[in-house]
Amino acid sequence: MFKKLALVAGAAALLAAGSAWGANGFTLKGPPKVAFLYFKAKNDGGWTQAFDEARPKMEKALGMRIPYVENIAEDAAQITPPAEKFIQRGYNIVIGTAFGYSDTFKELAKKYPDIAFLNAAGVTNGPNLQSFYGRTYQSQYLCGMVAGAMTKSNKLGFVGANPFGLVNWTINAYEMGARRVNPKATLHVVFTGAWNDPVKERAAAEALADEGVDVIGQHVDTPTPQIVAQERHIYGTGHHRDMRQFAPKATLCSSVWVWAKYLIPEIKKIEAGNWHPNPYGDFISIKDGGTDIACCNTVVPKKVVKEVMAARQDIIDGKFHIYAGPIKDRNGKLRVAAGKVISDADLWKMNWYVPGVITQQK
Amino acid sequence: MLHFLVNWLASTPSFATPYALAALGLIISERVGVLSLGAEGFLLVGALAGVAADLEFGGLPAAALVVAMLAAAAVSLLFALLVVVLRVNQVIAGLAIVFFCQGLTSLVGTLGGWTNRAIAGLHAVAIWPLSAIPFAGRILFTQDLVVFATVPIFFLVSRILSRSMLGLRLRSVGENPDAADATGVSVSLYRFGAVLAGSALIGLAGGYLSVVDVKIWIPDMTGGRGWIAIALVIFARWQPWRALFGALLFGCIEALIPRIAAAGIQAPQYFLLMTPYLATIAVMVWVGLTKLGRLKEPAALGRPHVREERR
Repeated sequence: MFKKLALVAGAAALLAAGSAWGANGFTLKGPPKVAFLYFKAKNDGGWTQAFDEARPKMEKALGMRIPYVENIAEDAAQITPPAEKFIQRGYNIVIGTAFGYSDTFKELAKKYPDIAFLNAAGVTNGPNLQSFYGRTYQSQYLCGMVAGAMTKSNKLGFVGANPFGLVNWTINAYEMGARRVNPKATLHVVFTGAWNDPVKERAAAEALADEGVDVIGQHVDTPTPQIVAQERHIYGTGHHRDMRQFAPKATLCSSVWVWAKYLIPEIKKIEAGNWHPNPYGDFISIKDGGTDIACCNTVVPKKVVKEVMAARQDIIDGKFHIYAGPIKDRNGKLRVAAGKVISDADLWKMNWYVPGVITQQK
Repeated sequence: MLHFLVNWLASTPSFATPYALAALGLIISERVGVLSLGAEGFLLVGALAGVAADLEFGGLPAAALVVAMLAAAAVSLLFALLVVVLRVNQVIAGLAIVFFCQGLTSLVGTLGGWTNRAIAGLHAVAIWPLSAIPFAGRILFTQDLVVFATVPIFFLVSRILSRSMLGLRLRSVGENPDAADATGVSVSLYRFGAVLAGSALIGLAGGYLSVVDVKIWIPDMTGGRGWIAIALVIFARWQPWRALFGALLFGCIEALIPRIAAAGIQAPQYFLLMTPYLATIAVMVWVGLTKLGRLKEPAALGRPHVREERR
């Protein structure tokens, strides 16, 4: 009965838009024990591997062993059993790593109100559940600067998965970064319609190279565009992890995930008690971890590296906002007014492109 | 425009080749009456084995492709055992093989440390002086060795199937296994052999995807291309040359889609991604409405053969 009342109170707090979750935050019942559910294999070369690289750092900083299970598909029947097994074994902070865990984590969070849930790329939140994601447009903006400085043809390429908010904001930022150092740069974008299809990614990268593109950026999961760039003797910029591993000559820099920098303090906050999850999820900028740039290949001139790192510092210091107005889209419509910075809601539903972006969409 | 056209056509064969080889492998297996729905699985096995061999043998792509064929044939032994010897329902056995191979390749790729490692792979070669011919040289004579080998392979298989004693026996096993049995042809042996040979070709297609095309192994990287090969076989009415034509059609479309985007030609993306499948449906309708539809599937396709069984 009491638990039900507490849930009702929680729901009421949710309705009071903008306010925090109830007066009292979430407090663990015992010492923290953290466990991971990985979306793919721990050595998938990208998204999941970035978490597995954060894990030993977290273990060291938090002084605990952090177990994980791999290959948990975005399906309640696959997510629930390992999550509950961890909970039965006394783990009280469960970290998920996929958008498709959102609904199941919401259910689990209701069922286990004493357990803290964190979910990367999720969209659900609650009194003991917080989703988190990185502001990838910051790191991709910096990669765009590198690409803009290195191109000779002034034609940049980008291989993206699907045209929606979080891919569109990286594309626009990439082009804005490129134009900052090279006003003539254009960005040709190919969407593959899949996150993890190396055959389609190669097709896209080859098509871009044939169009005369000489730097290829990416927001897909495999390193294939970088491998193609190396074969064609052009450059690329990676995503997820430092992709110089796959294409040491071609990859100039990469937009990378740095989860330890965010998760260690966040877990310490949960441990301290009275934790208030962000009702809209944590949307992390370079300053707090999440995303960053792995810079740079030795072929990038020192002057460019210096400029990129200065821009990174300005982002961290809050002196520079990438989506600060005035920003017009490529059809001339004003999207961000002068003196304003785009809202998070408008970022997530971004369906327009800045001037210089060339796509097959209108 | 000409530049766009030449680049597009020049990239078509490398998209068409895996479809063509996989479809040919399926035709061999289905002409003896074994419905091989496990193509997607054999593609995965070939793709992983190819990359693994390339990494382990220090970059011998030709050897890697042979290993891809052998590995797919080895896994197909299990399928052949199920459907030929144990006479399990072929649809269920085929589907089970797909899921089995998905798990097997993810596991073995991780255990062997072959996942996500770039390889040098097999590159295109220019056959001089033919490659110096304007346009045609680039399109027809600057390709990789597997593309060049595909046409002779098709010639050989189609010749064997339609003109040789071996082909006659193979076809008789697929059309009327009881009659074939009565003339002294071992139905089980021919089916076993055809499944192995067909799967080896599908393995070659898988090896092509990983060793020649993308040059990396990633779990589930075949992206449903095995299923497209199955559809190709149906609309080719089990005829090898028609399957090659169908594969080229698919390759053309698949090569065109990203090129339209890269050139910034405005066209609805999801409609374009749908076009290979629309093409499948269109060709099926066309086949159904014309005399091509009269070319029937092998009469005993999907039917386990039990010797001297009364029906």
